[in-house]
Amino acid sequence: MKVFLDLGWFFKERKKQYTVGIIMLMFVAFLQLLPPKIIGYVVDEIRLGTLTSEALVKWLLLLAGAALAMYIIRYYWRMMIFGSAILLARQLRERLFQHFTRMSPQFYQKRRVGDLMAHATNDLSAVQQTAGAGVLTLVDSITTGGFVIAAMAITIDWKLTLIALIPMPIMAYLTSYYGKLLHNRFHFAQEAFSSLNDKAQESISGIKVIKTFGQEKEDIQDFVQLSDDVVQKNIHVAKVDSLFDPTISAIVGVSFFLSIVFGARFIVAGDMTIGDLIAFTAYLGLLVWPMLAFGWLFNIVERGRASYDRIRALLAEPIDIDDAEHALDEKPQGDLDVNIAEFKFPGDDRAALHDVQFTLKRGETLGIVGKTGSGKTAILKLLLREFEGYDGTITYGGHSINAYKKERLRFAIGYVPQDHFLFSTTVAGNIAFANTSAPLDDVYEAAQLAHIHEDILKFTDGYETIVGERGVSLSGGQKQRISIARALMMKPELLILDDSLSAVDARTEEAILESLKATRTDETTIITAHRLSAIQHAHQIIVLHEGTIEEKGSHDELMALKGRYYEMYQLQQLEALVEMGGEA
Amino acid sequence: MEQQPKLTGKDQGLILRRLISYLTPHKKVITMALILLGLTVVGDVLGPMLIKTFIDDYLTARNFPTGPLVGLAGAYLFIQLSNVVISYFQLLKFQEIALKIIQQMRIDVFTKVQNLGMRYFDKTPAGSIVSRVTNDTEAIKDMFVSVLVGFVQSAFLMVGVYIAMFILNVKLALVTLLLLPILFLIIRTYRRYSSVFYQDLRERLSQLNAKLAESLQGMSMIQAFRQEPRLKDEFNDINEQHWKAGQRNIKMDSLLLRPAIDLVYALALIMLLSFFGITSFNNTIEVGIIYAFVTYIDRFFEPINQVMQRLSIFQQAIVAASRVFKLLDEEELAPAQANTNAHIIDGKIEFKNVTFSYDGQTDVLKNISFTAQPGETVALVGHTGSGKSSIINLLMRFYEYENGDILIDGQSVKDFKTKELREKMGLVLQDPFLFFGDIESNIRLHNQNMTADEVRTAAEFVQADSFINQLPDGYKQNVTERGSTFSSGQRQLVAFARTMATDPKILVLDEATANIDTETEVAIQSSLQKMRQGRTTIAIAHRLSTIQDAELILVLHQGEIVERGNHQELLASKGLYHKMYLLQNNIVEETV
Repeated sequence: MKVFLDLGWFFKERKKQYTVGIIMLMFVAFLQLLPPKIIGYVVDEIRLGTLTSEALVKWLLLLAGAALAMYIIRYYWRMMIFGSAILLARQLRERLFQHFTRMSPQFYQKRRVGDLMAHATNDLSAVQQTAGAGVLTLVDSITTGGFVIAAMAITIDWKLTLIALIPMPIMAYLTSYYGKLLHNRFHFAQEAFSSLNDKAQESISGIKVIKTFGQEKEDIQDFVQLSDDVVQKNIHVAKVDSLFDPTISAIVGVSFFLSIVFGARFIVAGDMTIGDLIAFTAYLGLLVWPMLAFGWLFNIVERGRASYDRIRALLAEPIDIDDAEHALDEKPQGDLDVNIAEFKFPGDDRAALHDVQFTLKRGETLGIVGKTGSGKTAILKLLLREFEGYDGTITYGGHSINAYKKERLRFAIGYVPQDHFLFSTTVAGNIAFANTSAPLDDVYEAAQLAHIHEDILKFTDGYETIVGERGVSLSGGQKQRISIARALMMKPELLILDDSLSAVDARTEEAILESLKATRTDETTIITAHRLSAIQHAHQIIVLHEGTIEEKGSHDELMALKGRYYEMYQLQQLEALVEMGGEA
Repeated sequence: MEQQPKLTGKDQGLILRRLISYLTPHKKVITMALILLGLTVVGDVLGPMLIKTFIDDYLTARNFPTGPLVGLAGAYLFIQLSNVVISYFQLLKFQEIALKIIQQMRIDVFTKVQNLGMRYFDKTPAGSIVSRVTNDTEAIKDMFVSVLVGFVQSAFLMVGVYIAMFILNVKLALVTLLLLPILFLIIRTYRRYSSVFYQDLRERLSQLNAKLAESLQGMSMIQAFRQEPRLKDEFNDINEQHWKAGQRNIKMDSLLLRPAIDLVYALALIMLLSFFGITSFNNTIEVGIIYAFVTYIDRFFEPINQVMQRLSIFQQAIVAASRVFKLLDEEELAPAQANTNAHIIDGKIEFKNVTFSYDGQTDVLKNISFTAQPGETVALVGHTGSGKSSIINLLMRFYEYENGDILIDGQSVKDFKTKELREKMGLVLQDPFLFFGDIESNIRLHNQNMTADEVRTAAEFVQADSFINQLPDGYKQNVTERGSTFSSGQRQLVAFARTMATDPKILVLDEATANIDTETEVAIQSSLQKMRQGRTTIAIAHRLSTIQDAELILVLHQGEIVERGNHQELLASKGLYHKMYLLQNNIVEETV
């Protein structure tokens, strides 16, 4: 029940709604007591022959009034309590999103999007349940349960009430026991379902391979087996699940039987009337729900607590990199000086970078080459201030990059990542991502610089074509070029291309590099690449190997060195050179 | 984000009928389950009758003979007990039937998917196909279990209760028939509104989740471009819309579901009491009958309430089913093959005036003709979009073509059995796809006849064994989803081995490119060289240097063969090939 305390802030915020809602719930619980009682009275009067038409009308009006009142009140408490619960979900969702936008890449590195989504959907709905159905079951099981028992004991007969209640705890016990059994079996069923899902996912992603090897039938066979497993596990669940209803009706049946047998004796003894007995059995029927609600309550609360704890933990995640107190509120400009003694990714023992030093003058282009894992991306991540806590300094225009406001730093850097991520909006919306109100001419200009303009014009709706699952499917090269255009839109002081030309053919690559050279004369550019052609023109090239700079210089200097760069170059060109020699 | 289909009442009826047709193979079990259900209803109806007899014949009369009373009590307990047992098996049976139906439906969908043509996969995101196979069918299962079964139960119980009421008092039973149109009206009203409001809520939820998922995936971009406030506003806007839709739904549920049904229940009680009350002014009434009617009315409303609560599941299932059926009815099938006994023996490939278009508007291949003699290599070069991959796609029968023909050993590719084509042609894809399992299972795939030695021989042949042997578990090394723990070069080598293990007559290569570092590429090139020996090969080359020994090089530009010849001839003709070649080598000249 601790979760109700934890959610106290919200209940306080919605004090009026919850107070009114709960009072209404209690009132309904009370009104529910009337119909059985009225039936009892009418039965007795009919039996004794004392029923008058006035009395009948009186009872029926009371019944109608109670029913109407319940209808109205039930409508309102639902609006109050369930309405508040969805408001809680809305508020928490908003907070989570806000928090997500503040989290650093480090955070996104250790958490998978799927998990975060699960928090924002499943956990949120469990908390919503707690604030809605949880409150309802708590209040209702206590008030309805209490009122009905009180009505039975006080207005009819307390001895009979005790007797009738004897089997009830067994029901509470059994249903909660089934619940536990079900929990485990359900878990296995879910697992079987998720393997089936994985199988379908894999087969569809690999459909070309399956077709190529003509393995459709075998693959279907595989799927049939997995689906058999799903059926088996679910039948296992059904075996417990089907116990609930029969058990409840068995217990209620016993209680009923006891009431009739003992009730009859009390009637004969003159302690109660037949009308009382009929009212009594009707009350018994009313008791089933609070019993069930009580078991349900524990379920809801347990889930709600775990989910709310997870959401709170998520919201409590500190924002890793924040601005210094008197952060520089100016545009970083000038030379870039990198001096890193050592840097490890959090949770990694191995140094991702060590002894990396270079200076890049304003307006120059730096090329970074090296194998996967040599540290290219690590340098970029530090420049982007995605990670801190390295041993060394990075200064831009004479100030440490940490001294700038993050906002300012980001404004100065146009970053084109390896995994070109586009949003499901129009092409124009993607290019003008940083400034959606930018004039279209600017968008065209950026697209032309990135050599994607012609491609875009060929799309069905041109710049208004929707990108992504529901729109046009773009080739890798087209996505890369749109990403480049998006970065160029910002006219960044520092442009970073992180292996962003890999899917572009040689001619287009050269054209893009040419246009960058022509337009970015005063600004700085950093390019990382596998293909050396992308960085050959750079003023300065550094060759990374196992986290440190192995060679540094211009293309010609590096070639003259006859070291790793030369080797890489040779490897890339070897066959071509041999052929050239033979043919030319 | 998935578009919700708009369904008319007629559509829904058709879908429901088609869903119910899935029950046919289970006729026997269903009949049995229905008999069990019937028995429980009989039990449910008999119980109150017995108590009525007790009240009227014995209790009111204060007459308690031991024998008949024990018999009455015994009968009551027996009915209750057997009802418990029967209803357990009946519930279980219905769930089993539902599970089996859904399994069949899943297999149908999956089989259908396997038989669809590549065109379908081009236009449909993988995620949504997976949803059809698993999630949508799951939604349909929920409907079978909780709605359809509930419907049937309610219907049976309703009939049982009415029969009992008619036996007890025809006039009153007739009066209570009035309840039916009222209930029907409420259900219809609810269905009408929920099909609007509930759909709306579902749509908003999927928008909300889509927005959230996309924002999380693209968070680094959002932050790099400082668009947090804008995205936050956009998200909050959708969040608010979703909340408003949620409120509308609570309002609708509160007005039309449980509170409304309970109101009708009170109306039923009023009917009963006024009937008995008014009758009692002139006649004597046995109170037991009042008891019985009150109890029957109670029973009658229980299942109705349950079904009403679950109507939204029904709505969802109909939508899900419409999507599933749409996939099952999809006509974009894989190209059909004639059923002849033609065999591929030499591996001669001939393209004759092939013209092809994916969308029926723009031709991506225009009048392509060429011949690959047995054992020769034909290389396809050209820029992205020049039509290289389309040639492979047609040869592999991933897409159907209408104009021109493709011949293997003089026979149209349409005339070979799929099995023959798949066995004799080996395709290596640009992006090597590994399946969950281990290295060996990835080379062998589903071919259980292949021995472990054959797997190893294939791996050795493509020189993949050196890296495999270095793995802690060698050939039994686990491969996780898509082989993400291996480098793309290693994945490519495994894919090579997979192809070589089938010893194809014809090799089709979509060359691996940019993502492989130079050193691995050298290893891959030398493996490729070996694989091509003695096989007719069609190869896409991104790097000209890798195909210079090809017997025939085709230079493609905008779907046309603009140049053809061997390396020397093409260089000598100083055309597009020459230019491409210079471009790749000019850079060298500039700097060397």
